[in-house]
Amino acid sequence: MPTRRSLVVSSALVPLSLSMRPREARAALKELRYRLIEDPESLHSGQSVSLTVSTCLNFLHDRLIYLDNTGKPQPWLAESWSFSDDSRQITFKLRPGTKFHDGTDLDAAAAKFHFDSILDPKLASPLRGTISALESCDLVDPMTFRLNFSRPFAAAMILFAASAYGFNSPTAVQKAGRQYGRRPVGTGPYMLKSWSAGTELVLVRNPRYRQLRPDAVNKGAPYADQITLTVLPEEGVAFSALQTGELSAAELQTDTVDRLRRDPRFAVVTDEKAKNFMFLEFSWRSPFDDRAMRDAVSHAIDREAIVRASYSGYGTINLNPLSSGIPGYDPSIGATHGTPYDAAKAAALLDQAGWKMGPAGVRAKDGKEAKFVLRSYASPVTDRALAVMQSNLAAIGVQVSVSTADWGTFYPSLLRDDWDMALNRWTYNDPQVMVNLFRPPGHRRKLPADAELTRILSGVESTLDPAERQKYVVEAQQAILERRLLVPILTNHAITITQAGLQNYTFDYLNQILHGDVRMSDW
Amino acid sequence: MTRYILRRLLIALPVVLGVLLVTFMIQAVIPTDAVTAMYEGQVTEDEAEEAIAAIRERFGLDQPWYVQFGRYVTHVMQGDFGESVRLRRPVAEEIGYRFVNTLQLTGAALLIGILIGVPMGILSAARKDTWLDVGAMTVGLLGISMPAFFFGLLLILVFAVWLQWIPVVPRGGAALLLPALTLGLIEAAPLSRIARSAMIEILRRDHIRAARSRGMSELSVIMRHALPGTLLAVMTVIGLQFGNLLGGAFIIEVIFGWRGIGELGVKAIQWRDFALTQAIILISAGAHIGANLVVDVLYAWVDPRVDYET
Repeated sequence: MPTRRSLVVSSALVPLSLSMRPREARAALKELRYRLIEDPESLHSGQSVSLTVSTCLNFLHDRLIYLDNTGKPQPWLAESWSFSDDSRQITFKLRPGTKFHDGTDLDAAAAKFHFDSILDPKLASPLRGTISALESCDLVDPMTFRLNFSRPFAAAMILFAASAYGFNSPTAVQKAGRQYGRRPVGTGPYMLKSWSAGTELVLVRNPRYRQLRPDAVNKGAPYADQITLTVLPEEGVAFSALQTGELSAAELQTDTVDRLRRDPRFAVVTDEKAKNFMFLEFSWRSPFDDRAMRDAVSHAIDREAIVRASYSGYGTINLNPLSSGIPGYDPSIGATHGTPYDAAKAAALLDQAGWKMGPAGVRAKDGKEAKFVLRSYASPVTDRALAVMQSNLAAIGVQVSVSTADWGTFYPSLLRDDWDMALNRWTYNDPQVMVNLFRPPGHRRKLPADAELTRILSGVESTLDPAERQKYVVEAQQAILERRLLVPILTNHAITITQAGLQNYTFDYLNQILHGDVRMSDW
Repeated sequence: MTRYILRRLLIALPVVLGVLLVTFMIQAVIPTDAVTAMYEGQVTEDEAEEAIAAIRERFGLDQPWYVQFGRYVTHVMQGDFGESVRLRRPVAEEIGYRFVNTLQLTGAALLIGILIGVPMGILSAARKDTWLDVGAMTVGLLGISMPAFFFGLLLILVFAVWLQWIPVVPRGGAALLLPALTLGLIEAAPLSRIARSAMIEILRRDHIRAARSRGMSELSVIMRHALPGTLLAVMTVIGLQFGNLLGGAFIIEVIFGWRGIGELGVKAIQWRDFALTQAIILISAGAHIGANLVVDVLYAWVDPRVDYET
């Protein structure tokens, strides 16, 4: 009969013994190990809009098209495409011979299966929210399908280049049912071997793979035998794992990067085509319904100081209302229509508008002091940006009280009328982002009616011809800046630290790696 | 004893229901849900209006909160914790492996904490006001004061980066070592202080003086007469700590990439994924109730004077 003491000791040892498993032998493999900041929710393309999921899907899926270095769509799985006269239909013809990981063919029926699953209300795909204009998908012939839209939707072409629009094997989806998200089958360079929930995903080379992109180095099966994606949320732990060689590459925050950039064992890969955009917007309540006030605030913000404080200098100062990595971004528009940092000009603008400096260093007009509410979402990066902005505005006699909350609290709060300015950050691959945010009444329903701006932004949304659309994109940037609808601030760069011997780890226009190309120099 | 346990479990039911009810009411006043939170900083509500409505309908989020509450309670009673909007999987699947992970971490950490903390506290009490006592209590104070995230990173730096005895990203059983050690050493600190103060208090009692006057050795006095009383005090703390740890040791789980309940709980709240949040709250409440019940039962086992039947 066990004694009390032995019972206590043995029961406490159970958890330890349960977790003891033999270490895997991995030395002989050509293996690359990358960091994931979080466990992906599901690898069912079409069932998530998360950026982590998108990163993982890029190993598993090729897409219809890709964007070349100028942002122009090029054929990938699709051989060609055409638009209908009314721009409401896009017809894609697939290249023959592409196989899914399970050996089944990628044909127009498989493509239709994917788009139908996005449209099916029973499946409630979150991807539907990104392509609300899509109405249906028709089969034209075994290798051709047609997408029908309720209205011309130019951003679709860029969406189709994103990994969330990679095709799933219909056979595998039907076979796995609700478990498909854990057993994805695509057409990409790697296949999922195992997924240890919350810990790591192991992918193996797709031996049948052929790379159809002409810009790829490797046109055949990937160089690495295996990829391990390790979930490491904590920055310090990822940093340590890079130092001990347990990771081949890891995206790190800019604060951490500086400690490794002079170390010859590592290389810094900077993705300057990032699609994020930090900006300050206005509530439109008095006095921010006055262009002069918005103009003054726009000139008061020292963007260079924010790039340094928030991202250690790894970012592009932005004077345009568009991320510097999006097709259509043209710095000359910011130069002519933007509001560069000029504190003296900001102060003069306030003087002209009747805001007189008070004895306590706070301006006032008609008995109202220049004391305002600035909101944002909580993160170390925004905290530092807010501190700079608070100081910048104090320097011209505008006092702001800053409040932050998590996104789920912050963003809905912008529908209320108890704020003046909000620091926001948006990530989107297409100029459509200007339509979504600033077509009156705007994403927070604060902007006044503006027929001209609506016309221009609707042109951005619905013009499929690239040259014609570019005219609208330029015009939209100018119009938004002229109206001082926002203060563009920056686009921060994604920074990845790799082991020095890692080759071909480069980002394409949509910030994706061609994983079949990546190898260690000694392989 | 069986009647006592059944009575306690019956009392626990309204507590758990009350916790769930409050959670649902809070959910009703929060101005966002899992669907809009999913599109954070990427897609506006206007753009995704149709998709948002479809997802809400699919997961029943378009119903009033009391309807959702009624349905949830009915389903939970049938063992169905619902489906996560973000993960697109049954909540039970996700919670299941994470709860096992948290149990492993909690068990191993408490074992380390008990093995180090209790003897350290007893030794301090037995050698009160000596350098041993001062040294042990200083270490204990350090353990209580040191933030878990700092201590965890320190252990990684020493054992994985400098000494390279274990990998930074360990696999298998080794993965439990550092998180359990970090948490265990942190847990050892309060246990040692409780054990010390309880032991000092008991050593002043008359029955201890009587035992000493009968010529018993100090070791016998401590082990046979003082230890059972000390353990009663320590067990109370262990019970509370066990409940807390089962609710999740979030910082430790994040630092060491240990996928437990705490790490999921924070994510679930950020995602506004109420099916996940509610399941975690249920588990936390259940863990606290269960741990306290086990401690009460153990009281009677350790100290025969405790009788719950009368």
